[in-house]
Amino acid sequence: MDGDPAEMNISQSSSSSIEVKDDMDTRSESENQPAGDALVDISFCGSTPLLWKVSDMKRCRSVGVTGALVGSLARQPRQNVRLGRPLELLQEEALLLEETSTGVASLHTQDCGDEEMHSEAVRQYEAGLESSYKEQCALALEDKKTVLKKIINEKENATDDSGNVIRDRLNALDQAFRFPWPAMAVQLCTARAGFSHCPEERSFLSTDWPVPRDERLNTRFCVYRDLRNKGFYLTSAGKFGGDFLVYPGDPLRFHAHFIALCISMDEEIPLCDILAIARLGSNVKKTVLLCSPQSRSETGKDESVEGDVVYSSLQWSSMV
Amino acid sequence: MADRHTSTDAHKLNVYQELLSPSELFEARSRSHKIPVRGQKDFLPDGSEKQTARLQQSLDEHWTLLAEERVERLGNLVKAVWTPEERLVELQSPAGKFWQTMGFSERGKQYLRPEEALYLMECGNVQVFYRDLPLSIQEGYERFLSSETVTLHQYQVFGHLKRLGYVVNRFDPSSVPSTYERQLNLPASSWDKQRKQLKRKRSQSPVSSDKQSTSPVEKTTPEDQSDELVKSSESPLESADASDRTWWMERDVQPPPPQAQSAAPRWDFSSISFPDLGSRRSRSVCLASPDRSLLPGALEVGDCDVAPWLSRLNMKQEKLSHRDRERQRERDRYRRDVNSDREVRRCRNWVEYFQLLEDRRRRGQKDRPAHLWEREVTPLTQPGQCASHRELLDQISIVKSSSWSEGVSRLSPSDQWQISFDVYQPDTVAEFKKSHPGKPYSRMCVCSFDGPVPDLHAMKLLSFQSNDVPVTFAVVDHGDISFYCFKDFKLPTDVY
Repeated sequence: MDGDPAEMNISQSSSSSIEVKDDMDTRSESENQPAGDALVDISFCGSTPLLWKVSDMKRCRSVGVTGALVGSLARQPRQNVRLGRPLELLQEEALLLEETSTGVASLHTQDCGDEEMHSEAVRQYEAGLESSYKEQCALALEDKKTVLKKIINEKENATDDSGNVIRDRLNALDQAFRFPWPAMAVQLCTARAGFSHCPEERSFLSTDWPVPRDERLNTRFCVYRDLRNKGFYLTSAGKFGGDFLVYPGDPLRFHAHFIALCISMDEEIPLCDILAIARLGSNVKKTVLLCSPQSRSETGKDESVEGDVVYSSLQWSSMV
Repeated sequence: MADRHTSTDAHKLNVYQELLSPSELFEARSRSHKIPVRGQKDFLPDGSEKQTARLQQSLDEHWTLLAEERVERLGNLVKAVWTPEERLVELQSPAGKFWQTMGFSERGKQYLRPEEALYLMECGNVQVFYRDLPLSIQEGYERFLSSETVTLHQYQVFGHLKRLGYVVNRFDPSSVPSTYERQLNLPASSWDKQRKQLKRKRSQSPVSSDKQSTSPVEKTTPEDQSDELVKSSESPLESADASDRTWWMERDVQPPPPQAQSAAPRWDFSSISFPDLGSRRSRSVCLASPDRSLLPGALEVGDCDVAPWLSRLNMKQEKLSHRDRERQRERDRYRRDVNSDREVRRCRNWVEYFQLLEDRRRRGQKDRPAHLWEREVTPLTQPGQCASHRELLDQISIVKSSSWSEGVSRLSPSDQWQISFDVYQPDTVAEFKKSHPGKPYSRMCVCSFDGPVPDLHAMKLLSFQSNDVPVTFAVVDHGDISFYCFKDFKLPTDVY
């Protein structure tokens, strides 16, 4: 397709500084294999990073980013035990994905102003519905025939005439079968389906990242990155009074071992806070880790440079 | 050029990966609806085959559940349309069972609020279209949730409560009757009418009289005025501001409220003399004629002789029975009539009387020992000043106990702490009426662990706004929601 309308939209996009990365080689991927070089699309709802596609979630989990599910589960939407998509990421998780070039911020698609393209998209969608309807009609007919044939086979041995009645029905089925339009099954898409053919805009600029990086986020991110590189899985620990829960393996199968509290090197904490969290840790049988990233290197960069993180654990001991 | 071409196509392929084919859609009818139970967790990863196998099984189960798309029979879906200007979802086919507790009607059309529509989309009951194309759940989140409608955290709390079965409505501060109004015991219907009239803010046409037949006719005129005066808000159920609550007062004032606040003349009570007509000593009072400036036109009023009026008062002495007289004598044995004090009679008004009392008090304190009272540290109380232990403790207490309702009217409203939802219990769903929901079970205030803990100022403000309904704090932590509430508690102070 020359003069692809999607291309023109990209060049006319409102923010002139957005570049589109063209390195994708997605034809080789299948549902079960994690995507090779495809970037994970992180969409933001306000300042919260969310993931919508299952392939993205699989990719993230393979690099140790678990996130938390916050939506209704499709199979049983009216319960809270097991939730479904979208996957909410911690700020630190999203930052890690961006830093390791695994993920990229996906901006809200603007409404395509092109009326003609939009009507074309609507036509395509409706045509898709029609063809789906026809196919489902045929499938339903086949299904009904199979069911009737099975009944006939079962009634082979019966002495009454019911078998003949059903055979007559089977023969008349092609004419008499009705599959009304409202009986058709439709899909309610979870992730964006792209019906409107609007190109997805992605941004690699830090200015388009909606979360400002303050001191606190930097500290937490240093600790997160360090623990992640050591092979631990981390999730949020607000209910435990800490910053992260640290798991030795995948949270689906293992219990957390540590509650990590991120404190910058020069921060002062009152003793009663230390006591409180130590008590809490011993109550829930997890070790409390006080984590502090070491001071930045001499270059004095704004962003935190990867350095060492100092860990101290708290444990009650008795003096005998 | 070719690169871009393949990338867009490949991108489209990527995007369409989650679309189901018609045969898959058809097969979806016989899908299982059960969720597998999660097994026990292990403590330590030991690299064993068994663990890896179990982990893989858990993961497979996890992905299967997540990848499952919602497939519904078209006839079971309610069709709706998203209107971004009004930030509402309009129903285009008849509503289902959810209409009992969600949505509202206006001008003949049925609407759903964005959070309700998104929840119903997630449940697979409603299909929302925008510009003739169906919205995915992702687009629903992106378009419906914003700081003007409902934020993501608020929506998470909303969804959580709805999934548990509660009925959740947006909080409308003007719908909370104040303590005074409840004391007056206004009939509930007047509140609903008021709310309905508030909802009609957007329509410029006069209110139809058939629905409001019981309300007085005078109310329709200020209603038209208030239509123009009240600022047009996007959603009729956004919290009404203070000016809306005063619409019923416009009846008395013809010009619109901004101009009507001309300063009322302040009366100088110290210069106004109120003649004492009732006491027995002043039988011969003669009222002077009023100030000419207060009289209309060229009216002339002379002095007024009060005597004939007084004669109409029952000034007879009370005839007491013997027992009553005895009782009165006992009571009056130690009582001194205030007016028999010469110095009190010399006072011409209340200010002078208080001054007299103050002088007497100060004189009474003259006989205090200097070594106690003239130093830096003085005694907390004087002998004879308190009659009981409790009075004494009250007097010497430094920290006075207070309640949440003290000083609330002086508090400024806060941006950070706002009540988001009214929550009604699930077992009331059968009798729940949207037009008359009644008193909610609790009110939700959504916050997060990143933010501050609510301080006393916030607690006072919220409990005042909520009146007698308890306020629960829903703290959202990365998908996990915890509920906290604070209770007002008074320490017992009685000492006997």
